[in-house]
Amino acid sequence: MVWSRSSLMRQPLVLLVACLAAADGSNLVQAAEAPLHQVIDRLVESRAGKQPLAAMSDDAEFLRRVMLDLAGRIPTVAEARRFLGETAADKRFTLIDSLLSGDDYPRRMQELFHVMLMERRGEHAEWTKFLRYAFNQNLPWDRVARAMLSPDATDENLRGAAYFLTARLTKEGAMAPVDVPGLTRDVGRLMAGVDFGCAQCHDHVSIEDYKQVDFQGLHMIFENMQSRGGEFPAVTEKVMTKPREFKSVFTRDPRTTPLRIPGAGDVSIRTFPKGEEYSVAPDRKAKRTGVLKFSPLRELAGGLATGKNPLFARNIVNRLWFVMMGRGLVEPLDLFHSANPPTHPELLDRLAGEFVSHKFDIKWLLGQLARTRCYQRSSRLPGDQPLSPRSSYTVANQKRLSAEQLFWSTLVATGEIDRVKPATDDTLEKVVARTESLVELQKQFLKTFSNPPKEPEVDFAPTVKGALYLMHDQAVLDLVKPRPGNLVTKLAAEPDTGKLSEALFLAVVSRGPTTADVQVVAKLLENKTGAARIEAIGQLAWALLASTEFCLNH
Amino acid sequence: MNHCRSWEHGWSRRRMLGAMAGGAGVAGLGGILQPAAAEEMARNDKQILLIWLDGGMSQLESWDPKPNTPFGGPFRSIPTALPGIHVSELMPKLSRQMKRLAVVRSMKTEDANHSSGVPKILRGQPRNRGVTYPYLGSAVAKLMGPTESGLPPYVWVKPGNGGFIAKHAGFLGAKYGALALGDGKPPANLVRPDSISSAADAARQELRRKFNRQFADRRRANFNEANSYVYDVAGTLMKHVELFDEAKLSEKDRRRYGTHDLGRHALLARRLIEAGVRFVQVTSYGWDTHGDNFNSHASRMPKVDQSVTALIEDLYDRGLDERVLVVMMAEFGRTPRINGSVGRDHWPNAWSVAMAGCGIRPGTVVGETLPDGTDVKTTPYDIGHMFHTWFSAVGLDSAEAEYMNGTQPLPIAHDDMHKVDELLI
Repeated sequence: MVWSRSSLMRQPLVLLVACLAAADGSNLVQAAEAPLHQVIDRLVESRAGKQPLAAMSDDAEFLRRVMLDLAGRIPTVAEARRFLGETAADKRFTLIDSLLSGDDYPRRMQELFHVMLMERRGEHAEWTKFLRYAFNQNLPWDRVARAMLSPDATDENLRGAAYFLTARLTKEGAMAPVDVPGLTRDVGRLMAGVDFGCAQCHDHVSIEDYKQVDFQGLHMIFENMQSRGGEFPAVTEKVMTKPREFKSVFTRDPRTTPLRIPGAGDVSIRTFPKGEEYSVAPDRKAKRTGVLKFSPLRELAGGLATGKNPLFARNIVNRLWFVMMGRGLVEPLDLFHSANPPTHPELLDRLAGEFVSHKFDIKWLLGQLARTRCYQRSSRLPGDQPLSPRSSYTVANQKRLSAEQLFWSTLVATGEIDRVKPATDDTLEKVVARTESLVELQKQFLKTFSNPPKEPEVDFAPTVKGALYLMHDQAVLDLVKPRPGNLVTKLAAEPDTGKLSEALFLAVVSRGPTTADVQVVAKLLENKTGAARIEAIGQLAWALLASTEFCLNH
Repeated sequence: MNHCRSWEHGWSRRRMLGAMAGGAGVAGLGGILQPAAAEEMARNDKQILLIWLDGGMSQLESWDPKPNTPFGGPFRSIPTALPGIHVSELMPKLSRQMKRLAVVRSMKTEDANHSSGVPKILRGQPRNRGVTYPYLGSAVAKLMGPTESGLPPYVWVKPGNGGFIAKHAGFLGAKYGALALGDGKPPANLVRPDSISSAADAARQELRRKFNRQFADRRRANFNEANSYVYDVAGTLMKHVELFDEAKLSEKDRRRYGTHDLGRHALLARRLIEAGVRFVQVTSYGWDTHGDNFNSHASRMPKVDQSVTALIEDLYDRGLDERVLVVMMAEFGRTPRINGSVGRDHWPNAWSVAMAGCGIRPGTVVGETLPDGTDVKTTPYDIGHMFHTWFSAVGLDSAEAEYMNGTQPLPIAHDDMHKVDELLI
């Protein structure tokens, strides 16, 4: 289906959504005649038309990219050598599958979704546990989202999901009240790709589709709820009895609305005689909240996080596409509306439809995206042709590394992990967890390279703070000092400049050195011996760590 | 709490624009149309200091008092150094500086909605062309560049956290954003540890630049430009580390400016201007006095009075008044009507802006409001008029100069508005 701008532009969101639902619900979930990744390439390349395509990435470029995306870190030297040395024709597909089933994947997904969903609002052990469980089990996205929207305090694995709600209900100082409208806005943004924030007090002034009633009908759900407090995040709901009354600050006409779910429309409120509102009565002594017969949160979870809701699937496939391809099919990611159509309408339909028919399987979708030529193109421009837009996907888009990706990659690059790791085959994260200095280093990386709270991390935004940290922080400088087992020590033991260059570049930037690189190394190390040579090797390692190449997924 | 903040619309538009224009979402879309003019600017030594009273200072408790009227409030007005001109009794020191100041009492702007006025005013609210304009500091950073000092051209001294605030730059690209010094503190890690000699530092930085040049070959340039830029700025800041050494401040200066946030930040602003930062903004938060307006102003105005007076005195004592334009404003004024919480609400319909220094005609009061302060009686001026005036004061011809947004030329101030000659020398 083509998202027709002319016919839909003036329709309110519900109408728009109704049209989409009719098309999406069944027709689009076609029998897959070709794997999704081939369909993607066909659609992207036909749209690109005559714009020149970049060459395919070489193995090193691909390996680094796909490891950063699916494992959240760069490859170790051993991993790189192994992959570069393999000759099987399908080695990229094999690698993708092994990363998706590897140890790093759940950690990477936990970090990715944490940043995406919490936008650096804070951490909670129960939330981390929930995310880790979800990605260890590869829970379907609709299940994950329902756990966040209608938390179940009795499920130990999933109860931490409530942090999505409760973290947004904390007081931020004496002057700032609890920001319930902010929560309403975030649920729209992050779960449905629609930012109703500016439609709280009146219909959105510049976006035709976003109505005040959309905001108010969603907002009443969160006004009816509160954070319960206690050792794990949890919420309680009151009995809801009547529709919400509101007025536009422009027209002042009094209006009412029942519950209203983005992409699904109205849900009328069901009321029960006093004393019969609960199917399981609350019990204060047992600290049990009870189960409401009509729970607005449960209605929200059921109406939003379902394959029947077109916004729900589109939002997440657009976000995962952004993660892999460096640009959303709809941008900004949270401004889906009829006057802001996707760059590739048919592709977005197809992704959403197949994602639903594959039961919201994130791992499957990421695997398909990684298999595309679109993903595997080089980020180097094809010759001196004029620049094609980023949305053409003719050249791989360079992507920002998260603070987490930078941290794990720095440990791998500098051989710090080899230095502190004993002879077991523990995961990176276990090694860090039991090494005090690395726990502290991780904290500093997150502090330095994260956006401020509530600012989505989408654009590459290097900071002076980050530069000064890498330049002067002692813990960073220690990483490029010769210490037993680390990269600089290993390099110092290598007398041959060519081999040293090869080991250095493979370790830090996950590729072999160019001729020019080797010349730089040779010139720097010429006539240097002993401590001066080691210092120079440290400078090389630092310069690569601080380079643009290292801090991007390119 | 309301979430209707127009910078968010703007942010969105910028990203869409970046996508349309070939993907420079990161940095460096903007250019100046005439390169000759750009060269001329490099030799321009004019600077700007903006004092921003976030939330909206009341004009009635400052520049345009209406004592003994229904909306006048409890404060008296006092005579100033300018015969016939009165200001609120809450600014006795500034009243004695009036011969050096210019005040516009006939500001009439559009946006009273929530806080969306902040970006609108700071962008000079040009005609909507679907482009997110830069804030004044980013505009000046782009149009005039760093001074010969090489210091970052746009530094923002503010309470709370610091950082690099890219979004102020709008379509110009992240590079022209604000370097924010949270609570006036230098960025962390500014000082190079003793373990690295300056020679070793130079060597590793040279290596970094070499590797970056190679990486940038045949790749979209803006990522590497943005990343290289922050290292350049870091290097320049390191050379001015003494700016942040409070031990170097005289006790007298501290006393004159005040030890409150605004005083300390205004004093740092003076030092940043002296060191050669092109544009410094000092922000004071908390002026949105919907409740208890009069007690709030009674405690806030003396801090403004003290620190801004000290600043004006210093600029004149040091001859900087010929080179530095000082502007003090907010996103709007406050309602004449006093609300049920003894507060005043947002009032863009009739408010005041003050300025002094470079290019400004001292001892000027422009415009007049109605006796009850509810509206402007004389020719109303919008923020676009002020942008033209201030650009002119620092030697930029805003009727001629344009930005280039890709291939789209854009005026640097509202094209239906003009400078206010009365305010200019």
